Amino acid sequence: MPKAQLFITCLGDQFYTTTLQNMTHILERLGVDVSFPSEQTCCGQPLFNNGFEEKTRPVALNFLRAFSKSDAPIVAPSGSCVSMVKHHYAELFKEGTPEHALAVDIASRTYEFTEYLVNVLKVTDVGAVYPHKVTYHASCHYLREMGLKTEAKTLLNQVKGLEFVQLKEEETCCGFGGAFTVTYPEVSRSMMENKVKDIVASGADTVVMCEPGCLMNVAGGLHKAGSHIRAMHIIDLLSSQ
Amino acid sequence: MTNPILENIRRSLARTPHPTRSLRPDILEPRLPESEDSEVERFLLEVNKLSGKAERLEQANILSALQSLIVEQNIRKATVWNTPRLNQLQITNHLSSLGVELVSPNADKHTSAQCDLGITEADFLLPETGTLVLRSSAEKPRAVSLAPRVHLAIVRPEMLRADMHQVFAEAKDGNYLVFITGPSRTADIELTVTLGVHGPKNLYVWMIVQTSNI
Amino acid sequence: MSEPPAYIGFEEYSEHIPASIPAAVQQATSRFVSGRAARVAELPEWEQLRQAGSEIRLHTIENMDVYLAQLEEKILSAGGHVHWAQTAEDANRIVLQIAKEHNVKTAVKSKSMATEEIGLNHFLEKENIQIIETDLGEYIIQLAGTGPSHIIVPAVHLKKEEIAAIFSEKLDMNAPADPIELARIAREILREKFLTAEMGISGGNFLVAETGTLVMVTNEGNGRMCTTMPELHVAVVGIDKIIPDWESLTVFLKLLARSATGQKLSTYTQFITGPRHEEGEFGPKEFHLILLDNGRSNILQDPIGREVFKCIRCGACANVCPVYKNVGGFAYGWFISGPIGAILSPQMLGIKTARELPYASTLCGACADVCPVKIPIPTILRHLRRRVAEGDAISLPTIPVPIRAAAGLSSLALAHNWIYRFGALILPTLMSIFKRNGWIPSAPYPLSRWTKSRPLPPFTSHFRRWWKTARPTQGKDSTR
Repeated sequence: MPKAQLFITCLGDQFYTTTLQNMTHILERLGVDVSFPSEQTCCGQPLFNNGFEEKTRPVALNFLRAFSKSDAPIVAPSGSCVSMVKHHYAELFKEGTPEHALAVDIASRTYEFTEYLVNVLKVTDVGAVYPHKVTYHASCHYLREMGLKTEAKTLLNQVKGLEFVQLKEEETCCGFGGAFTVTYPEVSRSMMENKVKDIVASGADTVVMCEPGCLMNVAGGLHKAGSHIRAMHIIDLLSSQ
Repeated sequence: MTNPILENIRRSLARTPHPTRSLRPDILEPRLPESEDSEVERFLLEVNKLSGKAERLEQANILSALQSLIVEQNIRKATVWNTPRLNQLQITNHLSSLGVELVSPNADKHTSAQCDLGITEADFLLPETGTLVLRSSAEKPRAVSLAPRVHLAIVRPEMLRADMHQVFAEAKDGNYLVFITGPSRTADIELTVTLGVHGPKNLYVWMIVQTSNI
Repeated sequence: MSEPPAYIGFEEYSEHIPASIPAAVQQATSRFVSGRAARVAELPEWEQLRQAGSEIRLHTIENMDVYLAQLEEKILSAGGHVHWAQTAEDANRIVLQIAKEHNVKTAVKSKSMATEEIGLNHFLEKENIQIIETDLGEYIIQLAGTGPSHIIVPAVHLKKEEIAAIFSEKLDMNAPADPIELARIAREILREKFLTAEMGISGGNFLVAETGTLVMVTNEGNGRMCTTMPELHVAVVGIDKIIPDWESLTVFLKLLARSATGQKLSTYTQFITGPRHEEGEFGPKEFHLILLDNGRSNILQDPIGREVFKCIRCGACANVCPVYKNVGGFAYGWFISGPIGAILSPQMLGIKTARELPYASTLCGACADVCPVKIPIPTILRHLRRRVAEGDAISLPTIPVPIRAAAGLSSLALAHNWIYRFGALILPTLMSIFKRNGWIPSAPYPLSRWTKSRPLPPFTSHFRRWWKTARPTQGKDSTR
């Protein structure tokens, strides 16, 4: 029986309990023995991306300690968080140290959720039913840092009743960028409004994505614009029956 | 004898003053040309895509082609490269016979700038981009292809080269080279493409070909 | 543009952009993006070209002194002059000296970002030398008295009616709001200047060490006019423009126009090696190259930051940048904008002046995907943020103390998970007072910077309790 540790992400923890519960259910239905290391807090990406490398190190150490108690793979509902662990943790520690070795090991077994399903479990159909017009926003780090170009659409393809419509600017940043929303709020707002306009123009009644951060931004933006379009994490869509 | 900038560069790069050169990365292989006909066709097509007017022309038809051009573009003054080939084709004589005033290609810039038409050859042609490659000398002054509002290049298939690699191998030791790829253009005002800003507005290219039964 | 800015307030500048600017910029960028896509699709070897471009530039950067020395030697044997300018002031003074020696009253200038960097126009005008921009876009913004809004099409933010008004006012005429007519007016006026100016000033796209050749990539013909008609040609070029040889040029010429505007090649590419040989051929009698350092040689110390010198000034990064497209060029505060501006200006001006620029990005990575020479722009942005936030070998940190304090507190809370978990327990209750209809439309500072544009979802933070309580038999807590 495959094992997996849940990496719930700080945003998931604060705002998306249902999504995390759904992630647990989907994995268990697929026969995965799921565990949850409760010492986890955050991967440290917001600090790292904003130049606070020294301050990221202790946060990363907490993560490594929490997840190294088991040798099971680690799965998260966020490409950017996984990218932080996979691509940047080793940079934080001096080569030759035990922390560095730990970071390298953890990096090799951390996966984003859709990546884990499609590329590791080799599952594309989770039995979801969602008879709606759905469009997809490709989150930047998920797409470009993790290189996940097809996984989400592969899963959406198997959802019964789902009618897919292409977002014109599918790969354009929604303006979240982590701290960017509070560093340059006006520019972030402009970018968010452009994304909302694009989603509305697509004719979809649902927009789906694989990042809690983008979701917070886009869902809030759609609500602010008075739109009834539903913004969902792909995990929640895949849980629909 | 070194200078402060080079010294600072060396300091920054943290190396000693006379390092050995590292190997350069490989450059891609040059293109292999297709048949001459195909290369000519490609070249003419690319020039025309850029709003140039490129065509094959038989030597015997040069005079009548010049006549049409002069009428179409209202040419009163012209200047011509002083090359053996253009002299052999009697371009200046033809122009005179058609009532066009000839200005020496080596005239001063003010006089040159009054010409409506400048006629050159090309030293090389690049088919993939429809590019004319021109050298410069007293026989081939730079202003002839630049100052008049109409530029006519009379060229031949043997000037074709497969790509830039060949051109550079043959021409890099000169003091000047210009690639001309279409007429002068800009999109600076509201992205509206406008031809003939400072360089020639009209580019004509005549590829002189012989038909096989001559 | 005269003096470099004392401080670049990106946040402030980006908040006061008239809507016409992003609209115009987005039109331009989408045209260039689709043009680029078409040209890239034509070349199956595109990725190999990018890789070759990147490697050649890196090699050159790492051997910059050798190639610059070779370049000088070759230009001198071709009969040209070479000057070395350590600072912007040095470069301006050298141009002035050359101008004075030749009794220059009027200079015509081809588009050159290096001359904008040093504020040459302003400097020469103070010395009573008339200097005229001849690239149409640059001519327009010179008349308008503004800076460039885009690297390639600097006047794109102006509507034709505005340009007609500027021409009418500054040139004392009745200019029609028609692009073709406006270009014709510029052609006529500038023609006379090309023919009477004593000096032509240009920049350069590449400097070829092998033969001492200056390469200029242009479209309008003004670049040729400036370097063909006057007797004197002065080129001001950054030392980072050096490339080893003509073989390398084949790579860059294939990458540049396609990446910039979607053309296969620009209309005119000139290869200039020293002055003319014969009087009858036209071209300048005297050729001067001013090699501009202005901080570049110091930046070479930084192996990550110096990758910025791979740049071939195509503007492809700006064309895909969602931040740039929403603010235009002015918000970046200096002569260069977009992602490349965000990594070049902080290195040239220092992070006291430009500390806001490395943060002017969501690190989306679209720029790195299109950069023809594979500059790792998001990596360099993060690297410069590190310099601002924590300092490095090049500079002490310049981030405001409150932000550093907040980061310190966050780090503490996230590193000691009992603090985080305690916070996660009480936050939902605390924040529930701001809840309205299932959202938090307004929250206190600093969260107000979020909520002024969109609501926050409610803090639920229920998962840990659920795991412990709702799944007593299944739940496996790996914290034993």
